[in-house]
Amino acid sequence: MALGKIKADTLEHSTSGSVDTKFVVEGSFKTYARCVADGTSITKSFNISSLADTGTALQTLTLTNAMSDANYPGVATSGDSSCNMAVDSHATTTYRLVSNNNAGSLTDSITQSGLLGDVA
Amino acid sequence: MKTPEFQGTHLFDRLCWAKENLDSVQSDYRVVYEDSVDECAKILVPDPNWMACALQGGILPPVWVYWELAKDEAQPDFKKHTRGYLLHNTEPVEAMTEEQAIEYLIMKDCPQHVWRDWDSGNKPKLVICRKEQLPATREWRNAWKISEDLATDKTVAA
Repeated sequence: MALGKIKADTLEHSTSGSVDTKFVVEGSFKTYARCVADGTSITKSFNISSLADTGTALQTLTLTNAMSDANYPGVATSGDSSCNMAVDSHATTTYRLVSNNNAGSLTDSITQSGLLGDVA
Repeated sequence: MKTPEFQGTHLFDRLCWAKENLDSVQSDYRVVYEDSVDECAKILVPDPNWMACALQGGILPPVWVYWELAKDEAQPDFKKHTRGYLLHNTEPVEAMTEEQAIEYLIMKDCPQHVWRDWDSGNKPKLVICRKEQLPATREWRNAWKISEDLATDKTVAA
């Protein structure tokens, strides 16, 4: 594959110190997705194969390149300021998003999510 | 655009290449399935970037690779994947048609017990349809079910 590649274990700044590239690699999103509130389409994504609308306020995303384990950190926000969102179940190839309104009721909303960690 | 020779290249790197070089493809196909009698019907939506990879060919691993990883993860002592190389080193699948890609996606992302005997009951457990055939509103979303009127008799056109 004809892609340029820089291999380094450490990045060092002239005055501000250095950082292990492991933190850069692990700290970048391995997958992300923004989906419409009713779960009928994916607006923007990376490393996702499908979205499953599994009920009101519930969306499950499946990955193309699995995560190495199921203990990865997942972040999720709602596109609606009156809703809260969480990644409430993890597997190496899927994660589920749940959206609640401020009263705690399941409510459809635009989902924005991403996963950090290592891929398999 | 010709796909580079990707066998042996990390799948994540292939996806980066695809994101950079391929136009996403919004499919009109949707897969409606029921994996539990106690739950509502679920609707699977293909990802546009994934669909672009499937139509392009030479990027995605064969679907059996995902089954192998799922078997590993189902083991009670599973901690992390040790056979991720299957994703990267197995010869990628050739270009698919959109219909073939949907079949692949069903076998990858729907539970196996749904698609392996999708037509063994009184009604199908799985239906491929167009986006516009889904209900127009989300009313009673948690009560949606596949219609019992759909025939599973293969001699009858659905």
